[in-house]
Amino acid sequence: MNKSASLRTFRHLLALPQPLRQRTFSILNRPPPNYPGHVPLTLAERGALAVGSAFGSLRNPHRHDLIAALGEATAKPYFISRLRTAMLANPTGRRILRDRPRITSQTMSLEKLRQLPESTVGRAYAAWLDREGVTPDTRDQVRYIDDPEEAYVMQRYRETHDFTHAITGLPVIIEGELAVKAFEFANTLLPMTALSLVAVVRLKAAERKRFFETYLPWAVGNGLKAEEVINVYWEEELETDVEVLRARLGIEIPPDLREIRKTLRDKNKAAKAARDARERLGAATGV
Amino acid sequence: MASTALLRRVLALPPPLRRSVYSSANSHNGAREPDIYDVVCIGGGPVGLSFVSALRSHPSTRLLRVALIDSQDLSTSRTTDDTETYSNRCSSLTPASLRFLNQIGAWEKVKRDRAQPYHAMDVWDGVSGSKIHFDSVDQQQTGLLDAVAEMIPGSRFQASRRKYEMEDAVVATMCENSNTTSALLQRLHDLSAEQLGTQSELKMLDKTRVDSIDLGSEPKDEMLLDLSQWAIVSTSHGQLAARLLVGADGANSPVRRFADIPSPGWDYNQHGVVATLHVDRQLTVEDLRTAYQRFLPTGPVALLPLPGNKASLVWSTTPQHAAKLKTLSSTDFIAAINAAFRLMPVDIGYMLSSTSSTNPTDELAWRGTATPASSTGLPRNFPRVEAVQEGSIASFPLRMRHASTYTGHRIALIGDAAHTIHPLAGQGLNLGLADAQSLAHQIAYGVDHGMDVGSCWTLDGYNNDRWAKNNAVIGVVDKLSKIYGVSSGPVVWGRSVGVEVLERLGGLKGWVMGAAAGMK
Repeated sequence: MNKSASLRTFRHLLALPQPLRQRTFSILNRPPPNYPGHVPLTLAERGALAVGSAFGSLRNPHRHDLIAALGEATAKPYFISRLRTAMLANPTGRRILRDRPRITSQTMSLEKLRQLPESTVGRAYAAWLDREGVTPDTRDQVRYIDDPEEAYVMQRYRETHDFTHAITGLPVIIEGELAVKAFEFANTLLPMTALSLVAVVRLKAAERKRFFETYLPWAVGNGLKAEEVINVYWEEELETDVEVLRARLGIEIPPDLREIRKTLRDKNKAAKAARDARERLGAATGV
Repeated sequence: MASTALLRRVLALPPPLRRSVYSSANSHNGAREPDIYDVVCIGGGPVGLSFVSALRSHPSTRLLRVALIDSQDLSTSRTTDDTETYSNRCSSLTPASLRFLNQIGAWEKVKRDRAQPYHAMDVWDGVSGSKIHFDSVDQQQTGLLDAVAEMIPGSRFQASRRKYEMEDAVVATMCENSNTTSALLQRLHDLSAEQLGTQSELKMLDKTRVDSIDLGSEPKDEMLLDLSQWAIVSTSHGQLAARLLVGADGANSPVRRFADIPSPGWDYNQHGVVATLHVDRQLTVEDLRTAYQRFLPTGPVALLPLPGNKASLVWSTTPQHAAKLKTLSSTDFIAAINAAFRLMPVDIGYMLSSTSSTNPTDELAWRGTATPASSTGLPRNFPRVEAVQEGSIASFPLRMRHASTYTGHRIALIGDAAHTIHPLAGQGLNLGLADAQSLAHQIAYGVDHGMDVGSCWTLDGYNNDRWAKNNAVIGVVDKLSKIYGVSSGPVVWGRSVGVEVLERLGGLKGWVMGAAAGMK
């Protein structure tokens, strides 16, 4: 009985006009990929991915793959197209889109970068990578953006994120990442960068105070004032002086976060040690 | 005694001779009187010529004394027979204009193998890619139930079959302006052959510049003709007094200036670039042709079909882009035209900016692969432009003007003298031809009812008929050009939604097409 009912339904479905028939089988009728690794998603799937990855990355900020998926799911319809148009409107951006350079540990030789003069962009990048203990290979491949050129723009943004860290000197800890994300939102307008600022709730009270007083105003002010960082051809700027590049882009360096934290930590440790010594003394003397 | 005998003999003459005796008797005394004409038409373009032809072919107005003045040599505006070269000044004639030209007997004189009727129009948005397809299918009157049924996806297959069963599926016809004018001149010549030597012979004053237009001077005494309320046109061939002076003399009309009729409007800060192009498809008379138009933020670009593998380009763009286009080599110009239809607006702007140093052909080759046709809304059958005709690239500034009124005392304005419109809807010449038809009809009415053809009793009917209709068309075309001049934001979203909705409402689309085709 069940079988004949389903067979009847199936025949009714096949009798529909072609556009309707295609619509009823959309999930099973996925279009072919536009580039290697491309996974085309329907609107509902993209929405679910955005919501799921947003909450997942809030619970565990070290899940960089969820952050990447959030970025790709929220980039269409307008934001990644706007970024690509901004690249096409700039002569250097056009050259980047034409050459499509990739940043991996093969294309960026860290040994050569470490040998560059002290004040160059390449040396600063290598020094920052060593200080934070990361490599250029930790970036995920873009999978959920349909247009191949827009997928490349997203990939380029991801791969040059570390350069933004390097020339601003902000560390990989959550506080530093949030400052860089705020700067990137003001500069590139990608929704994922704004959504990740929700992770402010995970900061301690003192860190949050420092973020809202110092780093957020710095990020928004500089991000809006500066040139589009996506249009910088980093492979050609490796031997430029960092100060010169910052001046050209219009970026001021923020206070060194690691230094501030270290000073604060040392001060707290000294105060705690003094307090402990007084208590032990008091216990011994009975005062 | 002798004078009554003379008078009786004069009265026995046939009326034309009798009138000429009287007028020659009058012109003996005093200075040289201006030649009196019933209608003097200044301007020998398609609109002026069609107006005079309409007068000459209508039985009521056939015998009016008419003069036509033009500064160009009208006898040499003949089209060539060379099928490889087409003039870059082409116009799209709506079915209503063709009916008018047929009525006055001029369309049969047109070289039909140089005119190209087209059967569909593809119009799409350069920013969002939303498109609309105009077809003769939509002009068929269908009921409400059919309109609802057509909205179901996949059901328009039956409707599209009806298109091939229709008698006349033409949306409009592309015709060179020189082809139309030479046909009209031929018709006037044939009509004049019948009335050679009579009083009502058409006076064709070509190669004649109008020196001035003034009101007649006050008569010295009561017995002389009082032409102080009449327009006197002074030319190198003498003076003409016009019972009705018709201005068909273009956008900077001297007649309009003489009549002190203000013509408010604005300049569009755009130049229209025209050219004759060769496309990659050789089509025959039996093939269905399509006109294409893409709305870019800098202005619309249109590709209109001509016979064979030719097409006419009309691209309204900024003055800087127009200047750059005219300096490009042939191959670069062709690349720029292909880019205008296929690439994103940011790429087109980059290609035509004065600071860009890259080769347009290379840019097109690279960006063409990176811009899929589905994202820009490019129609599937859009041809590739292969060559441009030598010396056919030209440009002209675009502006909108509308005269406050089309008529004054013994003055009427038709064509570009009355209104200038943006070329995006191809309506300029069609509105002018409709003006000529309406004014000729009003003059025939006036003659049939014994009115003075220059008085407001005759002319008000023309103003009432045409002014409001032209104002509506000019207004809609102006708003369209402004709406499509926006490159981002809610206006883009709004217009895309509007286009998508209109594309699905066959009945409403048919009404829009009917209005654009000039149906009454």
